[in-house]
Amino acid sequence: MKRFWPAILLALAVVGVVLALGGLPSQEVRAARPYEGVTLRAVVNAEYVKYSLSLVEKDILDHLGIKLETEVIPADAFVAKTLLEFNSGTSPWDLIMFGPSNMPDYGRHFEPLEPWAQKLKLDFMLDDIADVYKKLMLRHNGKIVSMPYDGDVHIMFWNKVAFERADNKKKFKAKFGYDLAAPLTWKQWDQQAEFFHGWGWDGSDKKLFGAGASYKPSGSGYSYHWWRPRFFSYGGQYFDANMKPLINSPAALRALEEMVRTMPYYPPGVLLFESEEPKTMLVKGEVPLLVSWTSTGKRVGDARESVIAGKAGFGLVPGAEIDGKIVHRPAITPGRAMAVSRYSKKIEPTMKLLEFISLPDQSLKIVMDAKTIMDPWRVSHFRSEKFRTAFPGAGEYLDAIEKTFPLVVPDPVIPGADEYQRKLSFEITEALAKRKSPKEALDSAAREWDKITERRGLEKQKAAWGEKLAEMKAIGIEYRPDWAAKAK
Amino acid sequence: MIGFPVSGLKRKQWEPLAFASPALVLIGIVILFPLVYSFYLSFRDFDLSVGPDSAFVGGRNYAEALFRDGRFLGSVWNTGVIIAPSLAVELLLGLGLALLLNRATRGRPIITALLAIPAMVSPVMAAMAWRMMFGVKYGAINNLGRQLGLLDVYFDWFSSPFMSVISVVLVEVWHNTPFMMLVLLAGLQSIPQELYDAARADGATPWQSFWSVTLPLLKFTMAVGVMIRLIDLTKLFGLIFILTFGGPGGATETVAFNTYLVGFKDFRMSYASALSYVIVLGTLGFTLLFLWISRLRETRAA
Amino acid sequence: MAIAVPTTRIAVRRWNRHRAQALSATVLTYAGLAAALVFFLGPFFWIVTTSLKGEGDYFAYPPVWIPDHPSLAHYIGLFTRSNGARYFANSLVISSLSMGAALVVSLPTAYSIARWRFGGGMLNVVLLVLRMLPAIALIVPIYIMYKWLGLTNSYLGLILIYTVLYIPFAVWLMVGFLRDFPVEIEEAALIDGCSRLGSLIRVVVPIIAPGLAVVALFAFIATWNEFLFAIVLTGIETKTVMVLVTSFTTGGTDAFYGEASASVVLGVLPAFAVAFVLQRYLVKGLALGGTKG
Repeated sequence: MKRFWPAILLALAVVGVVLALGGLPSQEVRAARPYEGVTLRAVVNAEYVKYSLSLVEKDILDHLGIKLETEVIPADAFVAKTLLEFNSGTSPWDLIMFGPSNMPDYGRHFEPLEPWAQKLKLDFMLDDIADVYKKLMLRHNGKIVSMPYDGDVHIMFWNKVAFERADNKKKFKAKFGYDLAAPLTWKQWDQQAEFFHGWGWDGSDKKLFGAGASYKPSGSGYSYHWWRPRFFSYGGQYFDANMKPLINSPAALRALEEMVRTMPYYPPGVLLFESEEPKTMLVKGEVPLLVSWTSTGKRVGDARESVIAGKAGFGLVPGAEIDGKIVHRPAITPGRAMAVSRYSKKIEPTMKLLEFISLPDQSLKIVMDAKTIMDPWRVSHFRSEKFRTAFPGAGEYLDAIEKTFPLVVPDPVIPGADEYQRKLSFEITEALAKRKSPKEALDSAAREWDKITERRGLEKQKAAWGEKLAEMKAIGIEYRPDWAAKAK
Repeated sequence: MIGFPVSGLKRKQWEPLAFASPALVLIGIVILFPLVYSFYLSFRDFDLSVGPDSAFVGGRNYAEALFRDGRFLGSVWNTGVIIAPSLAVELLLGLGLALLLNRATRGRPIITALLAIPAMVSPVMAAMAWRMMFGVKYGAINNLGRQLGLLDVYFDWFSSPFMSVISVVLVEVWHNTPFMMLVLLAGLQSIPQELYDAARADGATPWQSFWSVTLPLLKFTMAVGVMIRLIDLTKLFGLIFILTFGGPGGATETVAFNTYLVGFKDFRMSYASALSYVIVLGTLGFTLLFLWISRLRETRAA
Repeated sequence: MAIAVPTTRIAVRRWNRHRAQALSATVLTYAGLAAALVFFLGPFFWIVTTSLKGEGDYFAYPPVWIPDHPSLAHYIGLFTRSNGARYFANSLVISSLSMGAALVVSLPTAYSIARWRFGGGMLNVVLLVLRMLPAIALIVPIYIMYKWLGLTNSYLGLILIYTVLYIPFAVWLMVGFLRDFPVEIEEAALIDGCSRLGSLIRVVVPIIAPGLAVVALFAFIATWNEFLFAIVLTGIETKTVMVLVTSFTTGGTDAFYGEASASVVLGVLPAFAVAFVLQRYLVKGLALGGTKG
C-alpha cells in the first residue's frame, strides 16, 4: 500500500491543478458582469409581487451584477403616491410596476424602450408576446414604454367531481332537462349555481355552495369584472361614439339583475371577497364553478393545498346564445406591466434589467410559481413543456387561456379609466348588497361616468374613446341593442 | 383653567413667548402652512393625474360637496350610524368595567394595564386581527361559535349592510372601550369616599348611592370622554380601510374614508380638501352643540 | 378600620350574611373582569397562535386553536424577504426621537401656560380643533412641502410631523402636572438666583419625572401607531411597521396569512410593553391624553 502513496498524491496534485486552471475562465466571466455594484429600485403594489421578483433576484445578481431592492406601497395608495412623485419630476424608483389601465395617466412618465433597445442592442422578444397583451400593455401614444409582467385574463374553472358524478347528472337532467356539463352560457351557469347550492354534491353530507365570485370594492373594484362578461355577451359596450354611457342599457340591466337574483347561491362573505378567497373555496372543493384569473389554475394544480388537483376542468368563460351561436366575451382585467421611470438616474441598467426579467425563461419562473399570482403572457409560456407538465391538467389549462385571447374585452383604457371602473364597480356592489335596485345603481353609475367625462374634457375623452371603439369593433365587439332581449 | 397658582415673582416680558416659541414655530411650519395651502387648494381643481397645475374654481367644490354629492352625504349618514351605537356601548361598557375595577382591590394595576392594551394598538392592527377572526369557515369567531353551539361556521359577519355595521361597531367597541374605561375610572377615583359613607349612613342601598352619588359626580368626566370619542369617531378611517374598504357596496363608508377615496383614488385633491373642511366644520358644529346642551343641563340641574 | 366583632347570635348571622354578600360581590366582580379580559385579550392570543401556524394549519378544518407543530417560518420570512427587522428598527427610531422632541418642545410651552397663562385659556380650544382635523386635509400639502425641502423618505420628515401632531396633547397633560406643582418650591430656587429655565430643568423636572414618563411613552405609542403619513412620506429605507402590515392586505389575506399575522404581532408589541411599564400611571395618563395616531 505504501508504494501507491506517491502516485495518489501526484494524481491529486494533477487534479488540483486542472481544477484551478478550469476555475480561471469562470472568474473572468464573473468579472465581466456588466453592471457590477449597481443597485436598482423597483416599486410594486403588494407583498406577493415583491415575492415574485425575489424568485429572479439571484439570477439578476449573478448575470448582471445588479442588486434589486423592491419597495412595496400598499395597493390602495400606490397610484396616488407614485403620481405624486412623478408629478414633481422625480422618482426614487427605477423600475415601476403598474396596471396598464392606468397607462393614460402614467404613460408620459415612462421612458420609451425602443431607442434604448437600439442603443444597447436589447431584445425584448416582442414576437413572443401574446398578441392580446402586445396590444394592451406596451404602448403609450404609439411608443413602446413597458413590458408585460402579469397577464390577467378570466377563464372558467370547474370541479370535475361535481359534474361527473352519476347521481348529480341524473338529478340535474331531471330538474333542468339537459345534460350536466360545464356551462356554455350564463343561463346554464345560473341554473347550475342554483342546482349545486346547499348540499354535498361531492358525495359528502357537507353543505356546499353554488358558485364563486369576488365583489369587494377595494382596488379597482372586483364586481365589475364579473358583470362585464355578461354585459358584453348581451351586446353591451361602455360608451357610444358620443361618450354617452351605455352601462345602464337593457343589456347592462339584464346582466346585473341576473347577478342580484342568483346572489343566494354564492358563499357567505362573497360581498367582501378579494381575488384569493373564492380560489381557496374552489381548491378546497366547496364551490364547483368559478370564473377568475388564470393564476387560479396554479393553485388548483398544487396538490399540497388543492383537493381537486387533476380533477379540474378549464375552459372559456360562459357567454350568451345569440341566433344559435354562442358569443363569449371574457374579461381581460388590466394585469401588470413593468416600465422604466424617465426620471431615474440609472436608465441604462434598468433597461437591461427589464429585458432580463422579461426573458422567456426568467418570466416563466415567475408565472409558474403558485404563490406569485402572476399569469403567463409569452407565447413560449404556453408552449413550455415544463409548464404544461407542471401539474395534472396544466396543458388543458394553458390551452384554455390561449383560446380566450381572441375573444377578450379590454377595460376602457382612456384617461380616468380607473375612476370609471371603480364608480361602476361600486354601484354594482350596491345593487348586490341590496342597498339600491339594479336600475338605480346603473343609472347612478351612468351619471357618475358623465361627471368624470365632463371633468376630463368631453372632446378629449371622445377622441381617446374613439380609438378604442374602433379597435374593439375590429375584433367584432360593438353595441347590439337587440341582443339583450333575444340572448338565451 | 383658572385658579391655578400663578407666580407672584416678576417675570421678564419675553419669557412666556420664548418658552412657547419652539412649539409655536414648529406648529406654524408643519401644520399651519399646510392647512392654509390645503384651504387654498380647496378653491381650485387640483387633480393628481392631470398634473401639478390647477385652475381657480371658486366655491364650486364646496357647492358640490353639500348639494351634488350623494355619496358624500351617504357617508355622513353612515358615519352617524356607526358613531351612535359605538358611543353608547363604549360608554355603558366602559362604565361597567370602571365600576368593576374600582371594586377590585387585588391586582387592579395589572388588570387595568391588560384591559387597556386594545386602546393602545393602532386601528390598523385591530382591524387586521379582527378581519382574520371574522373569516368565514377558518376564522376564530365562527369556530368558537360553532364549538359553543351558537353559530354556524359559515356565518357571514358582512352579509348585509346591517351586519357590516354591527361588525364595525364591534371592532370599534373592542378597540376603544378601554379608553372610556380609564377616563371613567379616573373620575370614579376622584369621588371622595366620605360621600359614599354618608350615603350609607343615611341608609342608601348600593344602587341608590350609585344614582345619587356616583352618577352626578361622574357627569363631567363622562361628558369629556364622550366628546373626545365623538371627535375621534368622526375621523374613523384606518379600521374601515382594513376591515371592509367601505363595503359591502358603500355601507360602511365613513366621511374620512370617502375623503380618502376622493383624494387617493379619484386623485381629486382639491375636492378632498374641500370635503375635509366641510367635515371639520360639521364636527365643530356638533361639538359646540354638545357642549351647549350639556351646559344647559348643568345649569338646569343647579 | 376597627371591626366590631358581633357577639349576639342575630348579630353574628347578619355579619355572616354581609360577609357572604361581600364575597359573592367580589366573585362577581372578578368574574366580570375575567370575561372582559377574555374579550379584550382574546384576539391577541389568536393572532399570536396564527402567526405560528405552519403551512396547512391555517386552512385546517376544524381549525386548530394551538398548532401542533408551531413554526417560526413566517417570522423568518417577515424578517428576511419583507425587511421586517429594518422596518421595526425604523419605527423604533422614529417613535423614540419624536417622543423626545415632543417632550423637549412641549415642556417649556406647558410651563408658559401654567405659570403665566400664556394664550389666555385658548389652549383647550386649539386642542379640540386640532384634534378634529383629518389627516387627509394635511397630507398632500405636507407632501408637497416636504418634497420641496427634500424631507420625503427621511427620518426627520416623519419625526417633525409626528412631534408637531403630538405637541397639543403633551402640552395639555403637562399643564396638568405643572398646575399641581407647588409654586413655592420654584420660587425658592428663583430667589436663590436660578433662572426660569434653570429652575424648570433642575427643580421641576426631577419631581414631575414620572408624569413626564407617562407623556413620553404615550407619545411613543401614538407615533408608532400612525400609518397614513407613514405610507405617503416614507420610502424603502424609512418604512415603518404599520406600512408593512398594510402591504399584506391586497388580494385578501389568504395567501400570506402567516406573515400578515406575524407583522401584526410586531405592531402590537409596544402596546404590551408600555402597558406593563406604566401600570399604575395608566389611569391618569391615557384618560387625558389619548394614544392613537
